Amino acid sequence: MPSKSLLQRLVKWCPWLLRDEPKRPVKVLVTGAAGQIGYAVVAMIARGLMLGADQPVVLHMLDLPRSRDALNGVRMELIDAALPLLRGVVATSDEAEAFDGVNVAILIGGSPRREGMERKDLIAKNVPIYKSQAAALQKHAAPNCKVLVVANPANTNALVLKEFAPAVPAKNISCLTRFDHNRALGQVAQKLNVHVGDVKNAIIWGNHSSTQLPDASHGTAWTERGERPVRELIADETWLREEFVRTVQQRGAAVIKARGQSSSLSAASATCDHMRDWILGTPKGTWVSMGVYSDGSYSVPDGLFYSFPVTCEKGEWSVVQGLQIDDFARSKMEASASELMEEKTIAYEFL
Amino acid sequence: MAKEPMRVLVTGAAGQIGYALVPMIARGVMLGADQPVILHMLDIPPAVEALNGVKMELVDAAFPLLKGVVATTDAVEACTGVNVAVMVGGFPRKEGMERKDVMSKNVSIYKSQASALEAHAAPNCKVLVVANPANTNALILKEFAPSIPEKNITCLTRLDHNRAFGQISERLNVQVSDVKNAIIWGNHSSTQYPDVNHATVKTPNGEKPVRELVANDEWLNTEFISTVQQRGAAIIKARKFSSALSAASSACDHIRNWVLGTPEGTFVSMGVYSDGSYGVPAGLIYSFPVTCSGGDWTIVQGLPIDKFSREKMDATAQELSEEKALAYSCLN
Repeated sequence: MPSKSLLQRLVKWCPWLLRDEPKRPVKVLVTGAAGQIGYAVVAMIARGLMLGADQPVVLHMLDLPRSRDALNGVRMELIDAALPLLRGVVATSDEAEAFDGVNVAILIGGSPRREGMERKDLIAKNVPIYKSQAAALQKHAAPNCKVLVVANPANTNALVLKEFAPAVPAKNISCLTRFDHNRALGQVAQKLNVHVGDVKNAIIWGNHSSTQLPDASHGTAWTERGERPVRELIADETWLREEFVRTVQQRGAAVIKARGQSSSLSAASATCDHMRDWILGTPKGTWVSMGVYSDGSYSVPDGLFYSFPVTCEKGEWSVVQGLQIDDFARSKMEASASELMEEKTIAYEFL
Repeated sequence: MAKEPMRVLVTGAAGQIGYALVPMIARGVMLGADQPVILHMLDIPPAVEALNGVKMELVDAAFPLLKGVVATTDAVEACTGVNVAVMVGGFPRKEGMERKDVMSKNVSIYKSQASALEAHAAPNCKVLVVANPANTNALILKEFAPSIPEKNITCLTRLDHNRAFGQISERLNVQVSDVKNAIIWGNHSSTQYPDVNHATVKTPNGEKPVRELVANDEWLNTEFISTVQQRGAAIIKARKFSSALSAASSACDHIRNWVLGTPEGTFVSMGVYSDGSYGVPAGLIYSFPVTCSGGDWTIVQGLPIDKFSREKMDATAQELSEEKALAYSCLN
């Protein structure tokens, strides 16, 4: 009779074989971290809401030198919260330090739109920022770093970033339209009087601007009669093309009017959703909207960052192919693409 | 089989802590990733637009766990059927205000909220008071809601508890999850007593007492204590706003441990109705070390209390007795 079973010996000499090894920490950068969206998103990231409840994180937070005290205050609060998943916090105004070894980069920092500012001016102010961040990203970030640009003009900032970080695969750079996508789901759910969790497959096409096209025509919803197309449940093309589109497009302004401040909570939440689905995958049969580098799908010009419906698997996104595009959607999608071409031209003027 | 939604009330929901707290609740941080919630948000009429803006954002975020949102300025509507109540709303101290004035304003708020909760909340509703003066607001709430079991009314000292952990982990350069059993005794004020005499750290050589690892009683008895006590002011100085992120996170921790239990061998700090344990006068809401199980908290008994700790614990009890007297004088 053996004195000790093989299992007992394994446990004694190699305990790690039978213990769940904790995951290695992922380094997450948030730029503009001293601002409103930054404050909301770092709390969510440190609580595992972006990368999962079992994924430790190290937060890198970047902001301007003039925000150093406020940024340090955020760092202090993160320490004060005694969060088990948070394995470190770096608060800095130095780009190289901020980008060092990061696996995920959330770029919220940028020059905001001021009253009376033209879009041209907004682009002009942000081009140098994103050119500089591109250099830091390429030089210091971990290989295969996934980037999400939030700061507006998001699509064009992402394009500038891509152009000036040629060693970073274009597929690793994205911009946020999940925010509008979630808003679209919320509006459809309210219209159908169902829970938002029972609605899926809305799409946001195009530029994260007033030319975006919120499209519910390929969506589905769970009702008492099972899963049905939204187009059938809301048998009202006019609502789908006008009121729905307008409400989603203007929702940001509506929230500012009510709160006196722009949407941080929902922007931060959408940021987490975007990254989580990208890294952990979308559920079967469900797609989401992401601003990604166009490959010419749906006749959208390539070489632009354009919001498409995508599925995600094993850390990669793919554009959902084969959706029927009617004339109404086609003309809106083209208008948004034109706007993006113009923005690209303007951006290049400043380079 | 999906769980039945729980109704969670947040008062003062249009403010900073509320704004940080509601997405955490809606994402399952407070009650678990499998627990659907219905949020009830209450604020005062001047904040009704802002409150509605928060409701819009909650809808816009498309949270799978959030099964409904009620945004109201009516306390009755807000309290109806709630299983958890987080009372963030209160009258903040303004420049030049006397302690008595702040107390007076908050006493009337908490007296009125007590009636609404007692009449309309679900049976066994768990209440967490965050708004300062937290312990005394909770006491007023308890006094004017006699049919709510006193064990169901608590105040937040988890923020100070978490801050103590943060300081220890920074000092020792260890992960905060390897530290346990620091205690916050007393009032959520500058007389609170952060006590590490029973705290330990998980090391490769087993669990070691914090005192032994820090090896600096001077620091532990002075700077450590004052840093934790005054951390709120330090945050305001740095951010120009008071702590919202960490307060919201700690409120979630408090409720989550209360409802879902504390891990074996671990205790947390909660402001609870004193039963006279540790020579603390009964009839105050005082922060104690507790374990939680089956939805109930129990004070950890039998911890040795040295002379230094005794003095600190008595001083904070004294302050609470004075606050209680002040509060009662405002009622008459």
